[in-house]
Amino acid sequence: MSTEHADATESGESSGANEMNGATEADGPQGTGGGDGQHGTSGAGGQHGTGGAGAASDLDGEDLVLGYPTAPEPVIDGESIAAEPGAVTALVGPNGSGKSTLLKGLANQLAPEGGSVLLDGRDVHSMDTKALAKKLGLLSQESTSPDSITVEDLVYHGRYPHRGFFERTTAEDARAVERAIDLAGCGHLRDREVGSLSGGQKQLAWIAMVLAQDTDVLLLDEPTTFLDLHHQMEVMEIIETLRDESEVTVVVVLHDIEQAARLADRVVALKDGEIRARGPPEEIVTEDLLTDVFRVDAEVVDTDRGPRVTPLRARHEE
Amino acid sequence: MSGGESTTGGEGRTVGGGSPARRPAEGGRLGWLFDPRLVTVAAGSLVLVAVAGLVQVSFGAYSMTVGQAWRAVLDPAVLFDPRWFLNFLLGEELMRTVTGFQGELPQLARETLIVWNIRLPRVLVGVVVGMNLAVSGAIFQAVTRNELASPFILGVSSGAGLMILLTLVVFGSLSAFLPIIAALGGAVAFLIVYAIAWKNGTSPVRLVLAGVIVGTVFTSLQTGLFFFADDISVVQSAIQWTTGSLTGTDWEQVRMALPWTVVAVVLSLAGSRQLNLLLLGEQTAKSLGMSIERVRFALSGVAVLAAAASIAVAGIVSFVGLIVPHVVRNLVGSDYKRVIVGCLFVGPALMVGADVGARLGMSVLTGADSQIPVGIVTGLVGGPYFLYLMRRQQNMGDL
Repeated sequence: MSTEHADATESGESSGANEMNGATEADGPQGTGGGDGQHGTSGAGGQHGTGGAGAASDLDGEDLVLGYPTAPEPVIDGESIAAEPGAVTALVGPNGSGKSTLLKGLANQLAPEGGSVLLDGRDVHSMDTKALAKKLGLLSQESTSPDSITVEDLVYHGRYPHRGFFERTTAEDARAVERAIDLAGCGHLRDREVGSLSGGQKQLAWIAMVLAQDTDVLLLDEPTTFLDLHHQMEVMEIIETLRDESEVTVVVVLHDIEQAARLADRVVALKDGEIRARGPPEEIVTEDLLTDVFRVDAEVVDTDRGPRVTPLRARHEE
Repeated sequence: MSGGESTTGGEGRTVGGGSPARRPAEGGRLGWLFDPRLVTVAAGSLVLVAVAGLVQVSFGAYSMTVGQAWRAVLDPAVLFDPRWFLNFLLGEELMRTVTGFQGELPQLARETLIVWNIRLPRVLVGVVVGMNLAVSGAIFQAVTRNELASPFILGVSSGAGLMILLTLVVFGSLSAFLPIIAALGGAVAFLIVYAIAWKNGTSPVRLVLAGVIVGTVFTSLQTGLFFFADDISVVQSAIQWTTGSLTGTDWEQVRMALPWTVVAVVLSLAGSRQLNLLLLGEQTAKSLGMSIERVRFALSGVAVLAAAASIAVAGIVSFVGLIVPHVVRNLVGSDYKRVIVGCLFVGPALMVGADVGARLGMSVLTGADSQIPVGIVTGLVGGPYFLYLMRRQQNMGDL
């Protein structure tokens, strides 16, 4: 918890250390992308990296005050959050705790009333929208598309920030789309119309679209909610692959705390717009946290797949 | 899932894999144009325009056979004489500047003169107006994400209509400038709508609501102005303008609308990728780095330009801009590159076809030698067709 906070306040110092981290980590898993090497590119994260090959991006929200114009009170009132570079950070919390709001703030979809969001040290609000979209991708909770668009065409839309106004698709675009479709495991759906897909298949197609954006930072808003078990697992595997084999910094909002514990390197728990706890899942996901944040009595058992959470009953006090 | 399972269960998921060899459709820069559905739509529409156009140039006060009319249209004395050709297309003055020709133009056959001077320009104005309205409607349907959007959804028709009535009823001396005034009125109304809808940015719903507000007020004022018209001919003229008519259109109108049409068409084709992205929703478009307000305003501006160009030459023709994009989407799918190109063909087909009814319908039905505004025919044709589409398809339009 304390180290996480240090990240947020002294980002300058910590990012140097992270670059070193990134470089050492990159050696092993990047090898799997070797088949792609003949086309002159490395893995997904590296080629658009800012500081040089293999450097993961860091995303810091500092003293964020976030709210909606229609509401008098801000939802998030002065919270700082740092996404660990190259790792997966999960935001968890009950309904209305402000997780999605916080994510929207980090994605520059919601202008902060106070504080700032820094992507590799630059304020995202002052960045050119396309330049930002090349570095930071967001998968929103509800996505709409025309029914008759094919999955492949949808994924190609992810290349929008990389193309000029009159530019046609390049070989680089095609490669990124292939990688994304491959990673999202929706190659068999490629020529299907989005309107004909199930909810889970649609989600894979949309994930492929944000992956095609080829960003250093990826923000996912409840990517597993409303999906059947199989597709929840598919989505989690995609995120695991990103975590293990690329330098992409992932922030994901999850409803299911057990999923969060299994997937994330760091968990940030919110309640009523306040960050109540942050740190590695094995430290954070405790019976006390579930009582405090989720208002349930639960049993937490450590297993080799991370903590297993068995909710017992809702608490009715207050 | 962590550890061993992810390697076996992940179906070889890797970050770097995949072969980049696909995308045959993007093979050539214009490969998408040869989509069989699009080609069929374009060819069918061209046939319709040709047939309707031939009917238009054949019949009238001076009747000729279809063969005669056909020969007159293809008369080499016009087609291969740049002086005559440019005389029609650019006007006499410009023709003389361009070609440097100062003498008398050579004589033309009587049929050729009638066809080229009087009947053909009307067909061409129909083509241009059809293109403009269809493209404009297609853009507005994407920008407002509303299937029932038409070129006139953001106040353009009400602004133009009010200015038409004001000019005809109150400022009669300005009626020579009516086309420009009407087009400007439409554009100003659009800006008012945008200003009303703006509050730290706009949204499709706010825009449409603002369009309704401005439309209601301006249409009331317009209707009110009819009471101050003291002459039946002024009222008739006003009705012609506000329902849309191609009666009496000439090369003058072709010259007036054509340059703006070219600009609007080129810009809307260039903007088709932005339109496609708008269909994915505001949030997605924004997260992909689109400056959404700028793009929305620019595209709306293009659509208003197209609508204003058609208003200037034909008045406010309803339904074409609403229905053609629907027809095209149903035929070629929702990709806006294809939708815009399809609109360029289907719009003229509907417009020129409807104008046959407007020009010749009354004389066939009643024997009276009078014409009705084409806007009435497009409404009569468009309404039932819309009904048919609605019945046939559950999720109409697919926006």
